[in-house]
Amino acid sequence: MSILRMAWRNVWRNRRRSLVTVAATTLAFTVMVLYSSLVQGYLVAMERNLLDLELGDVQVHDPRYQDDPSLYSSIADASELLARFDAKGYAASARLLGFGLGAGADASAGVQIQGIDVVRDRRVSRIYERVKQGRWLDPGAPHEVVVGSQLARTLVVKPGDELILLSQAADGSTANDIYTVRGVLQGVSEAVDRVGVFMTDAAFRRFFAFPEGAHEIILRRPPDMDVDAFAASVRELAPNERVQTWRELAPTLASLLDSARSIMVVVFLIVYVAIGILILNAMLMAVFERIREFGVLKAIGYAPGQVLLVILGECAMQTLLAIVAGLLLAWPGLWYLTRVGIDMGKLGGMAMMGVVLDPIWRGVVNPSVFTMPLVTLVAIVGLAAAYPAARAAWISPIRAIQHR
Amino acid sequence: MSTSDVIVAVEGVTKIYQQGRVEVRALRGLDLVVRAGELTALYGPSGSGKTTLLNLIGALDHPTSGRVLIEGRHLGALSRRELSHLRRDRIGFVFQAYNLIPVLTAYENAETVMALQGVEAGTRRRRVGELFAEMGLEGMEDRRPDELSGGQQQRVAIARAIAAGPAVVLADEPTANVDSETAERLLDIMGKLNEDHGVTFIFSTHDPRVMERARRLVRIVDGRVDGDGTREG
Repeated sequence: MSILRMAWRNVWRNRRRSLVTVAATTLAFTVMVLYSSLVQGYLVAMERNLLDLELGDVQVHDPRYQDDPSLYSSIADASELLARFDAKGYAASARLLGFGLGAGADASAGVQIQGIDVVRDRRVSRIYERVKQGRWLDPGAPHEVVVGSQLARTLVVKPGDELILLSQAADGSTANDIYTVRGVLQGVSEAVDRVGVFMTDAAFRRFFAFPEGAHEIILRRPPDMDVDAFAASVRELAPNERVQTWRELAPTLASLLDSARSIMVVVFLIVYVAIGILILNAMLMAVFERIREFGVLKAIGYAPGQVLLVILGECAMQTLLAIVAGLLLAWPGLWYLTRVGIDMGKLGGMAMMGVVLDPIWRGVVNPSVFTMPLVTLVAIVGLAAAYPAARAAWISPIRAIQHR
Repeated sequence: MSTSDVIVAVEGVTKIYQQGRVEVRALRGLDLVVRAGELTALYGPSGSGKTTLLNLIGALDHPTSGRVLIEGRHLGALSRRELSHLRRDRIGFVFQAYNLIPVLTAYENAETVMALQGVEAGTRRRRVGELFAEMGLEGMEDRRPDELSGGQQQRVAIARAIAAGPAVVLADEPTANVDSETAERLLDIMGKLNEDHGVTFIFSTHDPRVMERARRLVRIVDGRVDGDGTREG
């Protein structure tokens, strides 16, 4: 008669208590798996939006740009740098950045104007996927611009409407021109939504009388390369420029993403501690109502470790049942969260520290969605079962047999 | 008879319990030697220390002073693990309340000590089969304790106690919870095991029938041996 078989039969001695314990553990595990999927989905979406739509993995600027983000703080040899990055096989695209005033028929607002190499930019950014109305930029239509959604509302413009841009050109002259709104962006970032105006790089150079150079080069790392190693490699190729990883560009967001997983574990612990108390109570009852029996086991030759194994085995089997049931229960929930998701658009959308998230909040499925709740559950259950198991294992056999 | 025949040696053992503020002296310098093949009954009034003595011999409890030796091994010098092994390999227990493991069948209860010893399954099956046949338990193998009568449970308990071939079987009031007919049958079985297989038994009892069957009677009074006699033939 194996100890584990005895443990299995002991699980079903008090069927109702075991079922309640298994049901509560199942519920907690299911909820934690779904929660883990949603939180990780949120983090993945946030990081993806941040990197795919805005920052890229690494950016190159003129060393003066961060302190003085003016038209003149530019990378003079941007074309040469791009050629170096191309030779290395790195996806890179230059952006031109300027500020000005935008005006619709009845309203005006400050704007940030970005000039984009439409073809190259597709290699580093998926901003073109966020066109809510109209279409993305076309190099063949230099007098058409794409604007952020909030800006479109402020200026009361829509695709097809005229937009007047006004600024100071690099040569000191007044820059002004009339453009046609080609598209409206949504869900890029709060800054882009509020003040973003995108045009082709050729249009930018003409508008600002800015024939050469660029203000920013965005790069994406190869999939097999760590971001820090990538930045080091870029620094070697651009020794005179300032090279920063996205973590250096958005340190608060980076630490938020890093700490989010720790916060998730804390939530696991809080939920599981409640389950741990339930299991502790169930195991204490199971042990103390059978204390005489454990005395008999020890009298006939069971070593303390074997008694420990019987009790921990019972607990492990209940937990295993809960995990299997929890996975089965979580499966349709995960399917729904990953395929359909939760429509946050109806609830007003989601944004965190300036990063706008997809209106549909989707979960993700990866090994850590299961391993983190699983490891935390097993640790808590192990702790909860350890005390009653140890009490039973190391009690004096005569005290146990004489227990009333 | 040589010292190598000595299975149990109790030397000047005292046992003092603390019950609240009251000190209870259960054993007061008791000496006893039990040799291989004996069928010994410890008798005496309630509270005289019979069960305490069995618990000490069974390595379930420690004496306050004195020594208990099983086959020459001083129990006080053994670790917790060694004591577990000693109980498993050299001592069999028959309790007044049977104390079978409720989740195990009669067969599994009987084989459990052998399983702990790592005895191969075929050997266990054969040994338990022989004992069940000897004790009239055929057909009861798959029954759980709650599906057995008191007498049947006690027979399974005896089978469990002797299946692994212990040096001594300790039986605390083994007939106290069964009717006369069942008691007679249990005593027949234990007597036969003693005669045919040389199993050493130590009973604690109030039951005159047990005393009639015992070959050695040890009277315990106030925690001391008050009389020790051997019945011939």
